[in-house]
Amino acid sequence: MSQVAQAPQKFTLPGMHRRTTPAPTLEGRGGRTWWHLPALVFMITLTQIPFLLAVWFSLHSWNLLVPSEGFPFVGLANYITAFVSDPNFWPVMWNTVQLVVGSMILALIAGTILALLLNRPIWGRGVLRALATVPFLVTPSVMALIWKNLFLSPSSGMVDWLFHLVGLPNVAWFSTFPLQSIMFIVAWEWTPFVMLVILAGLQSIPDEVLEAAKVDGANAFMTFWRITFPLLRKAYEISLLFGTIFIFQTFAEIYITTSGGPGVSTNTLPYYTYRTAFTSFQIGQASALGVIGVILAIFAARGMLRLMTERTVSERN
Amino acid sequence: MSVATTQKSVATTQKSVATTQKWSRFGWAALTYLVVFLLIFPVIWMVITGFKSEVSAISIPPTLFFVPTLDQFAQAINGGFGAYLFNSAVASLVSTALALILGIPAAYAMVFQMRKKSADNMLFFVLSTRFLPFAAILIPLFVIFTRLNLLDNLLTLIIVYTAMNLPLIIWMSRSYFLDLPKEVLEGAWLDGCTTLQTMLLIVVPMAAPGLAAAALLSIIFAWNDFFFAVTLTYTETPTLPIMVAVFTSNEGLFLAKVSALATMIILVPVLIGIYAQKHLVHGLTGGALK
Repeated sequence: MSQVAQAPQKFTLPGMHRRTTPAPTLEGRGGRTWWHLPALVFMITLTQIPFLLAVWFSLHSWNLLVPSEGFPFVGLANYITAFVSDPNFWPVMWNTVQLVVGSMILALIAGTILALLLNRPIWGRGVLRALATVPFLVTPSVMALIWKNLFLSPSSGMVDWLFHLVGLPNVAWFSTFPLQSIMFIVAWEWTPFVMLVILAGLQSIPDEVLEAAKVDGANAFMTFWRITFPLLRKAYEISLLFGTIFIFQTFAEIYITTSGGPGVSTNTLPYYTYRTAFTSFQIGQASALGVIGVILAIFAARGMLRLMTERTVSERN
Repeated sequence: MSVATTQKSVATTQKSVATTQKWSRFGWAALTYLVVFLLIFPVIWMVITGFKSEVSAISIPPTLFFVPTLDQFAQAINGGFGAYLFNSAVASLVSTALALILGIPAAYAMVFQMRKKSADNMLFFVLSTRFLPFAAILIPLFVIFTRLNLLDNLLTLIIVYTAMNLPLIIWMSRSYFLDLPKEVLEGAWLDGCTTLQTMLLIVVPMAAPGLAAAALLSIIFAWNDFFFAVTLTYTETPTLPIMVAVFTSNEGLFLAKVSALATMIILVPVLIGIYAQKHLVHGLTGGALK
């Protein structure tokens, strides 16, 4: 019976029942559909509504330790506190910038070197590439713990043993260079990601271009700097934007190794937001910090969205 | 004779060039092996340490030759590994399944049904959802889940991980659907398949390898999460990453035992990731780079 009911619609597209012209092609889009709605509603409920709630919380004073104070409206006071009177805010922002920029630069350099090495035809290249992705796959909290205790521990760490071998003094990494140590661990995790993106970029460069450069007498360095590197522009943009957005959210590495200390020296904006909410219980203040984080992330994400649109346009045309 | 000499010298030069090239190729290969070894050395050393006794794990200089033991693995497993594993497995698998159920129809609508402009808007929305810093939405989510009495509940993790992975599933499915040969789909529609039939019987099977990769990546993300696990479900339904943190804070530092535990935890994402390696970049960058 449903067969009969469908017969007149035989030449229309699924979900396009209101369309009158029989045009059974994919270009004939534009039908009404609700199939994206469950996902859309779910995402709005879990991300947009909580975000709006965060904005609302951020305009109120709400301290869980002092319930008698209630939930008074304070306008932009929480933001002013963050920007003006909180002595931790600007150091935390500076930590965030250092962590993101430092890890990103390290990962970009190491990832490029790895990609160039693994782009050469050598025996077992496939296996090597797979192995090189491992730091990106391992559970960050678990590896942070391993880095802390097996490698960077001043008593039993392998790095300090190596230092000792060459006559260098022992270093208490997480108290002497806390931010730099975390930066290093994060860069280690993100190096394979950069490597994979750059490798994909390298493979999209036609051999003829490189051949032509060789014929014209360019050496390996010149070829990379003048030809390969500019052609990898998009790969670098993608590494940079994705790396930045995700490294900004670094949490487990900080929590496990230093818990943000000493002082606030390894608090980044998201970590500081978490701490303000879950150890100081200042929900209003923490929400304001969270909103500031979102605004920063939007700036970063806009660049990403621009890249995505470029591809969307080109693949549809 | 002079011709012969020239030829001979040319041959020698060619031979030496070939030798140099051979050695330089060997040199590059050796360097590559060394660099990759150094990169993954921390993981290798961790796995090795897991098979040591506590005494040899902590000894300096590091012991390279030792009698391997499975004691640490046994102790880690007896330390409640099963319960944590259950939480981790349920949270990652169920959230991935839910994300697929919600995400595949959404991607289908975006590619085959919606107007280009609405589809692009939808994509923008999906991407921006994934880039929202978790710290900002954590506080409201915490308040909501507390009010709903869902704190420290596995369901909470499942819901949050579904939301975290839905964008990934949508943008990966979308880019695989875009690559499908359109003639086959038109054929299906001409044969009178309903939308549901077209999606389930034609589109999903054809895009199956890509969808599987999307699901695997989604499992890795949920499995590796620490942020939501530590803030929302720390006490009652902790996952494996929490186990490691608890293990070290409660029992002091047992390097070998921690290494054994860590080895078991990273096994899942590492194996999955290597298996789905081809799709890794494509999936993570939302198809911005193929």
